[in-house]
Amino acid sequence: MEEPPQTTPPDQHRLREIELDVRTQDVEINMGPQHPATHGVLRVLLRADGEILVGAESHLGYLHRCAEKIGENVDYIQYMPYTDRYDYLSSMNNNLSYSLAVEKLLGVEVPKRGQYLRTILAELNRIASHLVAVGTYGIDIGAFTPFFYALREREFLLDLFEKICGARLTYSYIRPGGVMNDAPAGWLNKVAEFCDIFDQKWPEYWNLLVQNKIFIERTANVGVMPAQTAIDWGCTGPMLRGSGVDWDLRRDQPYLVYDQLDFKVIVGEGYRGTLGDCFDRNFVRMYEMLESIKMVRQCLAAIEEGEVSHPDVSLTIRPAPGEAYVGIENPRGELGHYVVSDGTKIAKRMRCRAPSFVNLSVVEHTLPGCMLADAAAIIGATDIVIGETDR
Amino acid sequence: MATPTSLPETARRSYWGNVWSTIKSTAVGMGITFRYLWSKPFTVQYPDEKLTTDERYRGIHYLEQDLCICCNACAKACPIDCIEMEATRHGKELEWHQFDLDYQKCMFCELCVYPCPKDCIHMGKEYALVTEDRGTLNMDLLTWQGLTEEQKVRIAEAEAKKAAKKAAKEAAAKKKAEQENREEA
Amino acid sequence: MKPLTIIASALPEAPVSEAAAPQGNGLTEMLAGWLPESVPFWGLTLMASGLAFGVIMAFVSVVAMFSTWLERKVAGHIQIRLGPMRVGGWHGWAQAIADGVKLLIKEDIILASADRPLFKLAPALVLGTAISTFVVLPFAPGVMIADVHLGIFFVIAISSVTTIGVIMAGWGSNNKWSVYGAMREAAQVASYEIPLGLSLMPPVIYYGSFSLLEATQAQSGWFGMHWYILDPSVMLVSVPSFVLFFVATLAETKRAPFDLPESESELVAGFHTEYSGIRFSFFFMEEYAAMFVMSAIATVLWFGGWNFLGLAALEGIPVLYTTACMLVFIVKSMLLVFVMMWVRWTLPRLRIDQVMILGYKYLTPLCLIVVFAASLLEYLRFVLSN
Repeated sequence: MEEPPQTTPPDQHRLREIELDVRTQDVEINMGPQHPATHGVLRVLLRADGEILVGAESHLGYLHRCAEKIGENVDYIQYMPYTDRYDYLSSMNNNLSYSLAVEKLLGVEVPKRGQYLRTILAELNRIASHLVAVGTYGIDIGAFTPFFYALREREFLLDLFEKICGARLTYSYIRPGGVMNDAPAGWLNKVAEFCDIFDQKWPEYWNLLVQNKIFIERTANVGVMPAQTAIDWGCTGPMLRGSGVDWDLRRDQPYLVYDQLDFKVIVGEGYRGTLGDCFDRNFVRMYEMLESIKMVRQCLAAIEEGEVSHPDVSLTIRPAPGEAYVGIENPRGELGHYVVSDGTKIAKRMRCRAPSFVNLSVVEHTLPGCMLADAAAIIGATDIVIGETDR
Repeated sequence: MATPTSLPETARRSYWGNVWSTIKSTAVGMGITFRYLWSKPFTVQYPDEKLTTDERYRGIHYLEQDLCICCNACAKACPIDCIEMEATRHGKELEWHQFDLDYQKCMFCELCVYPCPKDCIHMGKEYALVTEDRGTLNMDLLTWQGLTEEQKVRIAEAEAKKAAKKAAKEAAAKKKAEQENREEA
Repeated sequence: MKPLTIIASALPEAPVSEAAAPQGNGLTEMLAGWLPESVPFWGLTLMASGLAFGVIMAFVSVVAMFSTWLERKVAGHIQIRLGPMRVGGWHGWAQAIADGVKLLIKEDIILASADRPLFKLAPALVLGTAISTFVVLPFAPGVMIADVHLGIFFVIAISSVTTIGVIMAGWGSNNKWSVYGAMREAAQVASYEIPLGLSLMPPVIYYGSFSLLEATQAQSGWFGMHWYILDPSVMLVSVPSFVLFFVATLAETKRAPFDLPESESELVAGFHTEYSGIRFSFFFMEEYAAMFVMSAIATVLWFGGWNFLGLAALEGIPVLYTTACMLVFIVKSMLLVFVMMWVRWTLPRLRIDQVMILGYKYLTPLCLIVVFAASLLEYLRFVLSN
């Protein structure tokens, strides 16, 4: 057997030994798949030098349910309940995106009242989703109480959804051709009532959570994502707008009646820290809720009596061969559905562009250099729903 | 990568400014929580106290047995095939064998309700799907108590009629065959 | 060290003089009166210690149980919920007992890869230190296990031993999250010892003593309302020093917003992630015991201890007086415990570097300023009174 070559001179050998003695190693920790701060079964493999993170790698797929493949095996209308289950916090918007894509294939336009109802529900759903986002963000950084106040307002919204469609989480309400059924009597007045209540309660979250000094310290300058990074990684929604990019599909590629509504696109200002930090993302979410209320009020003023669904769209849909993509502004970003039809009643190709998935991909890039506690803050500010990232 | 502690100018505040804003925001927050400490709780004590479900609530189905014609429309509409039904037809009367709905699969999408030609399957208001045994979640929606006496009489009559018809037909065929034979002969 | 006073039978005024009890303490003498003379002195001491330990242990258990119940109710009502409502009838008062029984009969899991001696020793050490701090608390005139001359010093010294237990637990669990929790605890407690000790100096300067009993007796004026925090001549330092002490206490007892060692949403449960059953409950009891002790110290030094308006009128009836004093003391302490809970359910959690910044850059300098101001004020008072 050949002896290994002696590369280290004897006098340096001693030095090397000392070096070996104090050689340190990065800690590798699994954050998840069962971890309170990963909002589901996300697994992030963190490498840390003490409290400072030096690397992160996210592992997805624990909640993969073949949603897109199912879409290629069931009827167009039968796929609709599956869209509820991507991002279960904003089912209305998921339904809407899918319905708009199928309607584009069919080439039909929903009656005016249907469009207004869809807009109202999409915006109310946005508020419900942002309430959970901001509330759970509080939990991520240690403030448990605001979550319960947020859930109280969400409860009012869920009651509204229950009244109109019968479900509290997976609505299946907006469907190709229109909506499931017209709003019950007095429902629109209830919505107006909610708008007034919400306006009163909003300052509470603002004062209790977002304006708190510790909250500001924990979020400002944490997970900073410059505008160019956000664009490069394809981020959308509050993640993108938090970085100061003025891009909102509701204004820039209007669908439904958004072109007739007067609203402001909220963009992060970085007034508590750097532009594009976790504070800005929450800031965008907080103010978007107020904008949504404004939009709902305008819709309530403009809505008229009439049909809610297109009469020609039945339960069996056979679009002409072709393809369609519609992206809408989900609470988490651009949710797009790409549907290819071959003329049968089952889609040939179904594809979903999930905002959570794209937004999550940038986290690996943002985490290194932060502290361990910031991992929870940054993942929380991304506001991912694992049902959507894994589909 | 900048460490999170190095603050840019916009966020950097004076020493006493930091102290003051900490005290102030803590006091504001504690004021809000203190107000809620004495307010009426929002939650209800669930099993004792239940919130009412709405008119349109999509809960556990109920079936109007008498109207159902076992056409399988709802089973076909179901995206996950959780409805299974089977019945023997005796003319217009149905002898039911099963109408099962598997609530382990059901996602309460209401798509089974729309295609029903008789409008006999509905979403109910019950929602508690709590059980110690998964098997119980495969629920039998039938309220069918077996054939009633009237139905049995009617079925017997129908069958007798059918048999008579058949016999008459057979007799007629026989007669015809005999006649043909005779003619050939 | 001064001789130990007697449980429930001492005179209301003045500690027992050294001549009266040259050897043992009141409890030992009481036992000596009951037992035959053949029992040796060391036997009596041992028995007295055992009795004292039993009494404290029972008290700590009750305090911990009541505090967990209170914590859950406070959290519930702040969060517009109800909290526990089922066990025992009225507002779930027996919930803590039920939890205790559950923890007792639960399987005590020790990981195969854990460092067994450390893992087993840690909860005992943590709870032991928490209990021993109760020794110096003056509950009522005469109801005090030991009047230690350096009582305040004793509490600070002993309560920081908890850290060693926490580090043992974190290291022994063989879990990276636990180690993180333990290391945070070590860093945090070591840093906050300084502001904690310094913020105790203004009252010490005011009373001129480290003894908790003397501090209480010094505040008995004005019909029982001559509390340090209410004395207008020193209010300028007493209020800030209390606020600083309170913040340092939160960090010392691992309470939010300084609950980094067990920060739920980051480290799962921190140093006690791997503990279950009775060992877990030891950590739990320690937390509430430490909260009570720290609140009791604040009660003694700032809020007059057992003194309350008009309580001295009952002095003629010793049993009633002692009971009332104890009640006042415990209620005052529990009110401070309540404030700790209230803070917990309001504020987000700090990050470890921010905890360090707060400790070294804010609390320590501010404490030094307050201590300097207190010394100056005391000097002025001395000059003016002569």
